[in-house]
Amino acid sequence: MVADDDLGRQTTAQLQRGLRIAMVVVAGAILFGLGLLNLVRHLDDHDLPVVQLVAFAMLAAALAVVAAQVVLRRPWPVSHRVVVAVVLAACALSYLTLPGGRTSTEVDWIFGAANWVGLAVLLDRPLRTVVAFLVAHELLALANVVLLNDVSRNSLARFATGSVSVLGFPLCVAVVAAVLHRIGTAAATATRELERVRTAEAVAEAAHRRRAQRFADLAGTTVPLLEGLADRSLAPSDPAVQRRSAIEAARMRRLLAESDTVEDPLMHELRHCADIADRKGVEVELDARGRWPVPPVAVRRALTDAALTALATADSWARVTVVGDGDVVAVNVVADCVPGDGVAGDGVAVDDVAVDDVAVDGVAGDRGETGVRVETFSSGGTVWMEARWKPTAS
Amino acid sequence: MEAHGELITAVIVDDHAAISAGVRYWCEQAEPPIGLIDAGDRLAGVWTPPGADADVVIFDLELVPGKPDFGELRRLVEAGRRVVVYSQHADNATAIKCIDLGALAYLTKREGPDHLVPAIRAVAHGQPYTAPSLSGALAADDTPDRPRLSPRETEVLRAWFASSSKELVAAKLHITVKTVDTYIARVRVKYANVGRAARTKSELVTRALDDGVITLAELNQAASP
Repeated sequence: MVADDDLGRQTTAQLQRGLRIAMVVVAGAILFGLGLLNLVRHLDDHDLPVVQLVAFAMLAAALAVVAAQVVLRRPWPVSHRVVVAVVLAACALSYLTLPGGRTSTEVDWIFGAANWVGLAVLLDRPLRTVVAFLVAHELLALANVVLLNDVSRNSLARFATGSVSVLGFPLCVAVVAAVLHRIGTAAATATRELERVRTAEAVAEAAHRRRAQRFADLAGTTVPLLEGLADRSLAPSDPAVQRRSAIEAARMRRLLAESDTVEDPLMHELRHCADIADRKGVEVELDARGRWPVPPVAVRRALTDAALTALATADSWARVTVVGDGDVVAVNVVADCVPGDGVAGDGVAVDDVAVDDVAVDGVAGDRGETGVRVETFSSGGTVWMEARWKPTAS
Repeated sequence: MEAHGELITAVIVDDHAAISAGVRYWCEQAEPPIGLIDAGDRLAGVWTPPGADADVVIFDLELVPGKPDFGELRRLVEAGRRVVVYSQHADNATAIKCIDLGALAYLTKREGPDHLVPAIRAVAHGQPYTAPSLSGALAADDTPDRPRLSPRETEVLRAWFASSSKELVAAKLHITVKTVDTYIARVRVKYANVGRAARTKSELVTRALDDGVITLAELNQAASP
């Protein structure tokens, strides 16, 4: 949700920024163009020109704060309330010293300038705040007409005419800004939703691929066993079937463990294999020495396969060890295995494990030899299987 | 201190009463039995009689959990004591450091039932004892100042760690159990010849040279980096 909010904020912030830059330029043009021109041209008409110049400086300062904030993309150095207060104070100051009967004329330069400056300050505030400011600005001018001057039909008509543009145009801009803000929010929501749907789709697709892959991995060995059990061609009481079941159970555990994110996947998968043996009462010792690079999935399967078979067929005890360095990783299992499938009588057998029949997802160059060499040594009732892998050779 | 046909005595320092009781049982069942003095968790019991006169010190490295007491091990070895480190710890660095400090044997607690009594006997005679866990640690040792081992020695260390049975190692590698022992002994001599000096280590090297387990040339070659 936090990321979603960030995304939405980013979309609206971009829109807002463009609008505010435009607003600062407009307010600047009006203040320094029209406002300054009228002020300078009619400076002599004022009783206290200094006060008018101070009011102008206050407006300029307020606009400078806004401009700095927009350009530097910094948070407001002072509260926007303070800036608006400065703008309104400039208006009050100007109207207090405005010569009589000049409201809403060219002499009244601030009437058409302060509203735009105030709008620039309040553009990203809610619409009602902008309206409140414009009304306050209007009331100050009205107060000047009503309280400090003789009210005549002429002055009121002039004031009303002036108010149409002074109040109307900024209000239009404020409404447009509010609408754009709403559109921005809606766009952000849409983007968020799109992102969410895309993520969900990708996750579903990955899950499906993983499941299909797992099924393919089990199809060769587990499925025939389950089918045999289902159509009663294999008897659960047969020790050979029980042994096969134990091996397949361990394979499934290993398959599920393969997708876990762990620091040492080889040890993690071996622990899962050992757990199967542990559950049927076999005493398992698992010990590892040294450090080794993480082998690819196909290699891990080849390395753990001997261990898995020995563990699943162990009678009462098993010792599983891993010794490794940068040059060679060796998985050893010594156990008192019941002779039978895959476990020969006394002697030594050497196998090079290929993975032609194992398609592994996401592993580059996994076709062909895994480079894992399995050596089986049997003596008396003890079976010793060693699977070696040379990381540099493969 | 050395036992010639006499009863071997050992003193155990371990904070777990159940461990000491188990070790006492193994010692009593051994043939011939081994006399065990229980110092509890007090190291003073090793330095004062009757513990001070024991042939072997069985030392729990972590009397304070998480803080292996290498300092005390060094003091024991410097005083000429023959130490079996009996540790909860299974990591390579700890095992090798104990050997470097001059302990004659290092066993994990899991190896106790099979290896503690043979280790006490070997150590009582000043001989090193290499249990499978230590063998694995030596085989996987990749520290820069380790001695140079021959491929066959490394193979034997790995096989002994993997199978925990010297008979299996011998059968698999087509050698005798005695030869397996010789290879392991040679590794220990090479390790005793490097690192910090300790009396137990130099005695071990001297005896190996006298017995012809290793030659001076081989030893020098193994030590040179």
